[in-house]
Amino acid sequence: MRALFSSLRDGKGFDISLIAIAMVFLILFSGAPLVYNAIMSFQEVDIFNLGTFIRPWVGLDNYRSLFADPSTLPIFWNTVVFVFSSIAGQFIVGFGLALFFTLKFPGAAYLRGLFLVSWVMPGLVVGAIWNWILSGDFGILNHFLKSVGFISENIFWRSDINYSLWAVIIANIWLGTAFNMILLSVGLAAIPRDVYEAAELDGATAIQRFRTITLPMMRATIGAVVSLGLIFTLQQFDLFAAITSGGPANSSNVAQYKAWEMSFREYDFARGATISVLMIVVVMIASVIYVRSTKQEVRG
Amino acid sequence: MSDVTQIELSNINKHYGSFHALKDINLSIPKGQFVALVGPSGCGKSTLLRSIAGLESISSGSMSIAGEVVNNLPPRKRDVAMVFQSYALYPHMTVLNNLTYSLRIKGANMKQANKAAEKIAKTIGLSDLLSRYPRELSGGQRQRVAMGRAIIRDPKAFLFDEPLSNLDASLRVHMRKEIRALHDRLGATSVYVTHDQIEAMTMADHVVVLCEGEIVQQGSPLDLYDTPANKFVAGFIGSPAMNFVDGVICEDGKSVQLNFDHPQKIALNRKLPAGQKVEAGMRPEHLTISNNAANLSAKIAMTEATGPITYYTTDTTPELTLIQQGRGTVSTGDEIGLTIKPEHIYLFDKDTGLVL
Repeated sequence: MRALFSSLRDGKGFDISLIAIAMVFLILFSGAPLVYNAIMSFQEVDIFNLGTFIRPWVGLDNYRSLFADPSTLPIFWNTVVFVFSSIAGQFIVGFGLALFFTLKFPGAAYLRGLFLVSWVMPGLVVGAIWNWILSGDFGILNHFLKSVGFISENIFWRSDINYSLWAVIIANIWLGTAFNMILLSVGLAAIPRDVYEAAELDGATAIQRFRTITLPMMRATIGAVVSLGLIFTLQQFDLFAAITSGGPANSSNVAQYKAWEMSFREYDFARGATISVLMIVVVMIASVIYVRSTKQEVRG
Repeated sequence: MSDVTQIELSNINKHYGSFHALKDINLSIPKGQFVALVGPSGCGKSTLLRSIAGLESISSGSMSIAGEVVNNLPPRKRDVAMVFQSYALYPHMTVLNNLTYSLRIKGANMKQANKAAEKIAKTIGLSDLLSRYPRELSGGQRQRVAMGRAIIRDPKAFLFDEPLSNLDASLRVHMRKEIRALHDRLGATSVYVTHDQIEAMTMADHVVVLCEGEIVQQGSPLDLYDTPANKFVAGFIGSPAMNFVDGVICEDGKSVQLNFDHPQKIALNRKLPAGQKVEAGMRPEHLTISNNAANLSAKIAMTEATGPITYYTTDTTPELTLIQQGRGTVSTGDEIGLTIKPEHIYLFDKDTGLVL
């Protein structure tokens, strides 16, 4: 008994118990639900057997019926458009801002800090604000676009099936830009000043320096930002709930929102779980890329 | 070395806000010369070098390289190469790509660029390392890559910013010779910044001593050593450093009273106004230990034997450093006499520091 206590105090037992606490937490709250979710996607689940673990095994039936549903493929396509457009927008604007804030001008640090506001706000609040901005009749975005002459008629961003998905994408780009900017700023700051000076003396123009020094040396950071962006974008739920609720006619519906609708609106937990499993696969691939890109950091 | 001026600086001034970093710098560097800018840290030597490179702007004055005024040219158009203290190699490129970077930027074809790099690599001993990344190289090898990257461009001038300060002592001595040999072989024009006066003395044709943003003296290494213009240069150049003692010119004007804890009088070879306050400077090698007819007397407080040279410190205040070739003939605790020839006594004005 005493040996056990002393080992816990300053021996191997201490190390193991530290790890064990984290592991138990992970398995209990992340691992088990994940496995439970995967199992559920192979079962027949209805409102009557929801409280039990042992349910009829149906193999791939849930997957088959999911893809047989004509609304599924458009929703997956929407997800692809949403993810790629959001990441592209967030990355380009974020990188631009990060480069801008490497210039030393008075107030640069404060101004950059201000961009973090988008990070502090809950998604539902962001959604509510963008509802006003995007509003067809009195929205400031329409007013702006009309004033500069890009459009002549009001666009009903949230209720027009051609624009509804883009309404959420615009809001999501705004939401994710600050995160991209901060991570990319850190990456930029890690590139030594004198490497740029050496390149400048070697005859490189600003564009050549960006292409041959900045981009290659930022590869690890860019990989991390993009794969984290993928994960965050696939998690984005609040904005859909707040802005379009996936409508009209599923025109702005995406996999993560659909999974919630299936499970908690239609109580079709099996198919909700099926969509989640497919998303887990995508996120896992992104995670592997993320872990690899942070491993291969090149620093002189 | 020819008479053609390669780099011409006239009345260069640089202000950082209210701080006057460079004050009226005038310097003319002939083609093929090896110039060392030397001075204590913060004296402006690196700022001056970076101004020549174009990495720092100058507030006023005119700067020309190979006859062309470059005041408003960006660094990439000045055609000068720089070796940085940190080497500043491109960490994501192999040695080969580091060497060929400047050629590739200008759109040279890969084959020719690689050929040029291989040739350079051979001359500076990098042939086996071309496929390595900078992180896989030792300090000395990185230093070579940095030099190779400068050489391959065949620039109008080489600028070195304390390139040896990150190397260990023995490698530093070796690279000193190598850089100088390379300079001679290429017939290059080099400006070399260092805080190490030995580096400046051993490598350069022409040494420029800077202090607080001003050129205090320039000339050949031995000129600076033999005829320093002021106390700063006298104390900075030479190792071990010159001994300084406060003094007053005596009534006769032909001797000086040195204010040790027990004042001692010593004859001069010139006449100065009686009562003038001075600082007397005596190089360690000019003070000879002898017991008969000595000018000064002291007691050995410490002995440091290195083999070929023995260093002594006296117990006087201020203390004196003495050197003797070979093994020492006296030892700690001995009472000794010191002689010095009058022409070897440097006198500096107590207030201005200028040589008298």
